[in-house]
Amino acid sequence: MEKENWINEILESANGIAKATPNASLFAKIQGKIREHEIVSSKWIWLAAASLTLLFLLNAKVVFGGKHKTEASAVESLATSLSNNNQLY
Amino acid sequence: MKNLAGDFQSVYNQYAVLVYNVALNYVQNIEDAEEITQDVFVQVYNSLENFAEKSSLKTWIYRIAINKSLDFIKYKNSKKRFFIFGNKSQNEKEYENVSNFEHPGILLENKEKAAVLYATINELTTNQQTAFILSKIDGLGNVEISEIMQLSVSSVESLVFRAKAALQEKLSKKFEEHRKKK
Repeated sequence: MEKENWINEILESANGIAKATPNASLFAKIQGKIREHEIVSSKWIWLAAASLTLLFLLNAKVVFGGKHKTEASAVESLATSLSNNNQLY
Repeated sequence: MKNLAGDFQSVYNQYAVLVYNVALNYVQNIEDAEEITQDVFVQVYNSLENFAEKSSLKTWIYRIAINKSLDFIKYKNSKKRFFIFGNKSQNEKEYENVSNFEHPGILLENKEKAAVLYATINELTTNQQTAFILSKIDGLGNVEISEIMQLSVSSVESLVFRAKAALQEKLSKKFEEHRKKK
């Protein structure tokens, strides 16, 4: 009986609970956080744009640099074949 | 929403107490509840323009507040596990003492008992905890809880019933400790 009473008292202890009110400065803090988020997000946009540009430049370098190498190797192989065919001795 | 800043201010005025109390019921720490309230309203601000109005604004804000509170608890617990061998910060020490938490809205004569209740609610499963808090502490009806939790009304009824049974069982064990202390 004592046990049941105690359990019921505990379960009913939150009955009629009044709502707690947040600190008056909370809205200003939220506005600060929102501004912070906006600044961070614009930073991320610039970072993403810079990354894309870098990626584009690296790709361009690989593609065009590779083309020069291909041309060079074509000349080399032609020279080799010529020197093979025109044996001097 | 045309005037976002103005709308946001009125949404804050209308729901700040609700969000703060939901967070307080979960984390039982004033600083943490304020931090969660900030995160909730930052998300509300960012999503207010895209709010689809599939549910009421109140239900939507309730869902955000519950999810943020549960995420916060998960984050705190993982941080506690990570720093188990390290020095604990002041805030972590406070979080460990949640069983001693005194809700600012509870009558003085009930404070000790309510602290035991909150400590026991923390031992429930997440769904039982949410259903019990919304039903018995926030005083919402089962229909509204079912909309917030996106469950059927009968599931909510069953969750509240099981939460109460689990609480009674856990409190029954705690009673022995309580009697020994006396």
